[in-house]
Amino acid sequence: MTEHNRKNKNGATLLARGKRSIFRSQWFYLLCAEVVIAIITGIVNPRFFTTSNLMNILEQIAVLGIVSSGMTMLIISGEIDISVGANIGFSSCVMAMMMRGGVAPIFAVLVGISLAVFNSFLVGLTSRVFKAPSFITSLAFISVFEGIALAITKGSFQTIYGMFETIGTSRLFQLIPLSFLISIGAYLLVHVLLSNTKMGRRVYAVGSNPTAAFLSGISVNWTKLGAFLFNGALVGVAAMVLLSRIGAAQPSTGSGIELRAIGAVVIGGTPLSGGKGRILGTLFGVLLMGLISNSLNMLRVNPYFQTVTFGVLIIASLAVSVLSTYRKRARVKAVSEGSVEQ
Amino acid sequence: MEQSATIVSLKEITKIYGQHRALDRVSFDLFPGEVHCLVGENGAGKSTLIKVLSGAVTPEGGEIFLSGKAVRSLNPRQAIEMGISTVYQDAELVDSLSVSDNVFLGDERTGKIPLMVNSKGQLDQVRQIVDTLHMNLPVGVLVEELSASQKQMLQIAKTLYRDAKVLIMDEPTSSLGMEETRVLMDLVRTLRSRGMGIIYISHYLEEIFEIGDRVTILKDGGYMGTYPVSQIPVETVIKKMVGRDASMFFSRQPVEMGQTQFEVRKLARGGMVEETSFSVRRGEVLGIGGLVGSGRSELVNLVFGAEKKDSGEIFLGGKRVHVRSPKDAIRAGIALVTEDRKKLAMLGGRDIVENTSLVHNENFKGPWIDAREEQVLTAKIVKELSVAVQDRLQKIEELSGGNQQKVIIGRWLLDDSLVYIFDEPTKGVDIGAKEQIYNLIVALAQKGKSIIMVSSDMPELLSMSDRIGVMRNGRLTTILDNDGISEEELIRHFIGVPNAGGEQG
Repeated sequence: MTEHNRKNKNGATLLARGKRSIFRSQWFYLLCAEVVIAIITGIVNPRFFTTSNLMNILEQIAVLGIVSSGMTMLIISGEIDISVGANIGFSSCVMAMMMRGGVAPIFAVLVGISLAVFNSFLVGLTSRVFKAPSFITSLAFISVFEGIALAITKGSFQTIYGMFETIGTSRLFQLIPLSFLISIGAYLLVHVLLSNTKMGRRVYAVGSNPTAAFLSGISVNWTKLGAFLFNGALVGVAAMVLLSRIGAAQPSTGSGIELRAIGAVVIGGTPLSGGKGRILGTLFGVLLMGLISNSLNMLRVNPYFQTVTFGVLIIASLAVSVLSTYRKRARVKAVSEGSVEQ
Repeated sequence: MEQSATIVSLKEITKIYGQHRALDRVSFDLFPGEVHCLVGENGAGKSTLIKVLSGAVTPEGGEIFLSGKAVRSLNPRQAIEMGISTVYQDAELVDSLSVSDNVFLGDERTGKIPLMVNSKGQLDQVRQIVDTLHMNLPVGVLVEELSASQKQMLQIAKTLYRDAKVLIMDEPTSSLGMEETRVLMDLVRTLRSRGMGIIYISHYLEEIFEIGDRVTILKDGGYMGTYPVSQIPVETVIKKMVGRDASMFFSRQPVEMGQTQFEVRKLARGGMVEETSFSVRRGEVLGIGGLVGSGRSELVNLVFGAEKKDSGEIFLGGKRVHVRSPKDAIRAGIALVTEDRKKLAMLGGRDIVENTSLVHNENFKGPWIDAREEQVLTAKIVKELSVAVQDRLQKIEELSGGNQQKVIIGRWLLDDSLVYIFDEPTKGVDIGAKEQIYNLIVALAQKGKSIIMVSSDMPELLSMSDRIGVMRNGRLTTILDNDGISEEELIRHFIGVPNAGGEQG
């Protein structure tokens, strides 16, 4: 196969770069769907293409984007955390209460983010120590977090109007929402982490084949716990952005976001089985969710049907990924049968 | 043995997996009231023959006769209806149900009230079977409370209840003690006297000579003949199990050996490996042989830190190294190419670059990935080991078995280790890649590395090793100098049949 090799400019031999058809990447289908949805909505309701509406969409998907970035890494490592919504509720309540109590917002935010990190770490730790799937431990922690949040707030709204608005409401050049830029930062961070660091390689290895990872010197437990810690940090940031935008917190703040985040990750082509996936897919998955939600509003569809649409969307994305692996399998089979004859 | 018609008869059965002939024109028949033994090395085709008999696989060629009638193919249902039952090493029993419930599993007796199980009726019926066979088997207790031998008895009771005519026993004594083995032997005799046909597979030749009526010998999927046990000496059986063509052997270059580089002292783990000590010199290839389940992989896993050792010390270049995990082992300079690359080594769904640079990036690099370096290193391995790949984005599972193995081995070549452990290095690899892997191992030895090679492939062990360590029942029984050992001699050590000249251990 030397004809495929080529010398690069420094004289070292490299393997052929290799091209994979764009039609096999999930994000491409998502982009197509997004363009189609945008065009249709724009035709029916021209207000869709106004700058203020487009910026609204970006603002609305910021929190989901931050949570989904952390979730992507966690799912690639073969774990999951469905308590992120309750975690947001808990930590945003703590942040709001501290601010109301006169603590400086920066300090309150730091405490809140640390709390979110600790919470997510607990989910991971219990899962590793008790050798239980993290789905189960995080399920249990949903009620723990919600319960504590209810207890400390006594179930009441924690309003902080006017105290902490900058992050959630300010716009760069009076145009681009700051919260959206923060979410772009989260995507970039996860991207760099996954593709350019040892930690990223560990995450993929542990998700793909934990035994092989262990036998190559990787600590499976610490890698997974690391993914949980990182997930917790992003959950904390998401709680901060959400609190700042709404100006109030209550224990149920953020509830339901876990399903939309997992949905966005899966739609983006990261399988729940772990070991595979890219942040680019998640980005387009989140965008699709925001877009659909917005265009259903624009088309004056009953809001209750939006929930139905999300469910259908996840099923549809599974169908796409099954179809593409099916095609790929057929190809792999052809290749391996061909190689027998060599 | 009465000369009645056969229960089962296989004529010239051939089974092909890919390019490999697992069975090549093998004939086998079984009369009622006889114990027909099946012997052969690891991978000789015994299990495949059993699978054909139980309908689990369909042979490509040959004829099957059931009670004298030809059947085109045998599916599992037919096999069970014909009364062919298998007692496996790992019993397929439901631990949380009682002994009698397990016997009646899927076929429960109902009592007077519809849909309610008649537990008492079941208990009585099972007790009857157990009593007539004089089994030591409490019928009312849960299966999880039974010992290994009692579980086996339960499986046999189950087949008797189903009115089996043919009982297949695959290594029935491998997990039994002496006394339990004796009880089992008595039971087999009772069953035989009741007219059952028994197919008995065992590595332990003494059992076969104790209990068998006839013995069929397989070698590399080929049929070596069927003989009455009373008329064939042990030596002849062993000779027929081994003795391959010279073309099966690889002739390697000799390598000059240096000083002792790697030493293991009194390494042990309860229930797996008994106290083991050995050493390997620079440039030496130490082969480790033994039967399946003799503890070979367990030994190398202990050395590599993949299993926690109870006791023992490891020395590299005269200095003691502490190996508590694979990471420690890798840092110290020990590399392990595992058996079963799919389960233990490949990162499925990841490309060849990531698979090749896995160990290097994890253990010998800082927190950042050097994308250019890993491309260069992967290209180097691809060239050196002539791995057939399309481009760098190709996923490892898209490669052929031999090329996958080369990538996995390549993973350990990027950084110099002192000791290379290969566990079944050429399993499921085609002939061409096999030779390349052998050459690679010799090249490593030439560079002064110490090689430990676990293998079930006898020609491989004999042609590659400088010395051969023999594992039996979790014990390294002896280390033989490989100066003209015959296959026959080696397998004697594996199965523990003493030599005419006497043997230690």
